[in-house]
Amino acid sequence: MQTSTVIELKQISKRFQGLQALNQVNFDLREGETHALVGENGAGKSTLMRILAGIYNEYEGEYLLRGEPVRLHSPAEALNRGIGMIHQELSVMPELSIAENLFLGRQILNRWGLVDWKKMHEIAAEELAMLGFTNVDVRRPLGTYPLGTQQVVEVLRVMLSGAQVLIMDEPTSALSPAEVERLIELIDTLRKNKRSIIYISHFLGEVMRVADRVTVLRDGRKIKTLDKTSTNVDELISLILGREVNETLVQTTTHSDKEALLTVEHLSADVFTDVSFSVAKGEIVGVYGAIGAGHFDLARAIFGAYRFDRGTIVLDGHTFRPDFSTSYAIRQGMAYATESRRKTLLMDEPVYRNVTMPHLNRIGNLFPLLRQELDIAQPVIERVNVQPANPLHAVGKLSGGNQQKVVLARWMAFPPKMFVLSEPTRGMDVGAKSEVMNILRGFRSQGFGVLVISSEPETVLEICDRILVMSRGRVVAEMANENIDKDTLMRLL
Amino acid sequence: MTLQTENSQLDVVSSRTIHQTASQIWLRRLTALAPLWTLLALGIFFSLASPSFLRPINLNNILAQIATLAIFGTGMTFVLLTGEIDLSIAAVAGLAGMVAAQLHMTLGYPEPIPTLVALAVATLLGCINGIASTRFRIPTFMTTLAMWLIASGLNTFISKGRTLTNIPEIATFLGSGRIGGQDGLRVIIVVAAVVLLIGHFILRYTRFGRYVYMTGANKSAARLVGVNTGLVITLVLTLCSFTAGLAGIVSMGRLGSAQPQEVPSYLIDTIGAVVLGGTALTGGRGSIPQTLVGLLLYGTLRNGLDNIPSIDVFLKQFITGIVLLFALVVNVVFAGRSARDRTQV
Repeated sequence: MQTSTVIELKQISKRFQGLQALNQVNFDLREGETHALVGENGAGKSTLMRILAGIYNEYEGEYLLRGEPVRLHSPAEALNRGIGMIHQELSVMPELSIAENLFLGRQILNRWGLVDWKKMHEIAAEELAMLGFTNVDVRRPLGTYPLGTQQVVEVLRVMLSGAQVLIMDEPTSALSPAEVERLIELIDTLRKNKRSIIYISHFLGEVMRVADRVTVLRDGRKIKTLDKTSTNVDELISLILGREVNETLVQTTTHSDKEALLTVEHLSADVFTDVSFSVAKGEIVGVYGAIGAGHFDLARAIFGAYRFDRGTIVLDGHTFRPDFSTSYAIRQGMAYATESRRKTLLMDEPVYRNVTMPHLNRIGNLFPLLRQELDIAQPVIERVNVQPANPLHAVGKLSGGNQQKVVLARWMAFPPKMFVLSEPTRGMDVGAKSEVMNILRGFRSQGFGVLVISSEPETVLEICDRILVMSRGRVVAEMANENIDKDTLMRLL
Repeated sequence: MTLQTENSQLDVVSSRTIHQTASQIWLRRLTALAPLWTLLALGIFFSLASPSFLRPINLNNILAQIATLAIFGTGMTFVLLTGEIDLSIAAVAGLAGMVAAQLHMTLGYPEPIPTLVALAVATLLGCINGIASTRFRIPTFMTTLAMWLIASGLNTFISKGRTLTNIPEIATFLGSGRIGGQDGLRVIIVVAAVVLLIGHFILRYTRFGRYVYMTGANKSAARLVGVNTGLVITLVLTLCSFTAGLAGIVSMGRLGSAQPQEVPSYLIDTIGAVVLGGTALTGGRGSIPQTLVGLLLYGTLRNGLDNIPSIDVFLKQFITGIVLLFALVVNVVFAGRSARDRTQV
């Protein structure tokens, strides 16, 4: 069967301040086709997608839309031309009803110029029924429905505004397995209606189910476009990584033989389910997962900063009481750093105040004295090598790496038993990264427990003794960090 | 060898940063002091425009006029620093005065019971403000708005709409007494100074003061280091209500009677003066000295216009508004600029 080409990109190149994000990439999308884009973080997927959706309009190369050369200047223009995008972070309005969300910005008016609610509700219900959603009330606020339904409404909204081409960025990362099935069914329906879909995902198993063709990007270059029927997950992984994949089976271990320091059992909340693991003294355990896997909120829950429904946390033989606060966790010997430094540092305040923040109740009773605070801060910022090593310097003026060192130094002032660190090396240059890694190794050799939570495979592979892989809120694998490669982790997602 | 080069590089870096920060610190100091420059300019202007402005008796008048606002303003500074607001202060003050007057006159309780009970009532209302806001996550804008009505309503109820002129002696002493005879120092100024000083001490030197700044500057960061931000906000609202109650007693003593209705302008005047001093409504930025400057600015503006006889009486409020807006723009623009300098990451 001859199908027509909807979009064709020829020799697309894009640079960001000396960084070649895309290098002469060719890409084509056929009518009624689902075309997956895969690659590591930084391979150029999102840049390509943004060019397609009109978000970036400065690039080299040619963009042909149904054979006609175009240059899209905005997402609105792209949508006018029939190209809609569904972002990973949904842009729905949870307070508005389903019908209102579907007709956002283009409400149906009656002859008096007023909103025709009846007609809008009718059409909304009809459209949803066509996609197999018959038991939803289109008058109810969208926010009261599960995430999967919200996603369907977003897809439908983009389609109703005339999109023939849908770009989906990691559409399933926060969905439950049942919701993923629904989404895949929806994509099948769309395919039958001759809509074309560009599907971006980390989950290769899913890609193999959904896509007709798969394009692999690596380091800004297109490596290959393959038909689904002529490839498999292993081949995709080796193309993504650019080398032969490691075929050894994963050795799963459930615990180390050392004495457990932190034991988490059957921890469940809305975004993660039944998580159990332990960390020994002098051990670094990694939790790896794609964005949206629930691992960051798991870390918060262990520190008392995210409410969980069930499960127990035991630190050094002491069982945490349910509904504990962060100050309780700190008193028990827990230290935590978020994935966002902005949320954990006082950027306008000097370094020493950021270091002593958690310890004000331990120093100088009611009156913290500058001298005392400096005495506490100075040695720890020297130990982690904050540059400049001036405790009076405003934290906001330090580089990202030095800010992270301040976050670590903060907890070293009064050593805890257990460090829980989310993305400890995100956004740092190579030098700072290795310094932070060395600090963590120092924690290990001093017998602290360390839990590293990350969405960067390199981070957990480099530093951790054991690695847990989380996917959609569940721990799907646990293994010792021996002979493990990135491909092992990717296959497990 | 490598160590050597690293060290010399380090020296270059650190000397450059020190150099940069020195000039930046000066610039920041100058801009952060914008309200002080405005105050100075206003003072010079009024002393040239009116011969009576600079007389000691008039300057003393300014202090007496802003003394009540200073007591209100101390509590309000705490609240604004956490990024919250308290709209109930004027009503709480009115209620405190009325409670004291009723206990004193109608029920005949001896001193100092009426005053202490009035202060306790005010403090309790603040505590309710705090608990309602933090327990149920209602914005303080709404809880304290409700408290405004509650306190105001209670005042109307217990006064039955009557003005009471027989007020406790403590209030009279605090509000219109003088230390050292007829021309002595007004007690109200001393009270305001003491309250400001205590407020300054708490904010600047105590752990609680640091928690107040942390809560307003970065609530999530404060929580993540174990600060109970809900408790901090509750305490701050309680403290603000206490100062409002005290201001109510003092203001009653100054006016010589307990009114069945609050003085609504107290609320706007207080917030106006505190913000004029450079304390941010968004929290984390400000201090008692800044509030003092704001109060002086506000007082100078009000009093100065009164001292220029050629100004049409009916135009005064309009002119006050214009000058206030102008001063706010100057202060906020400069303060905003220095803040922006600081948040380059």
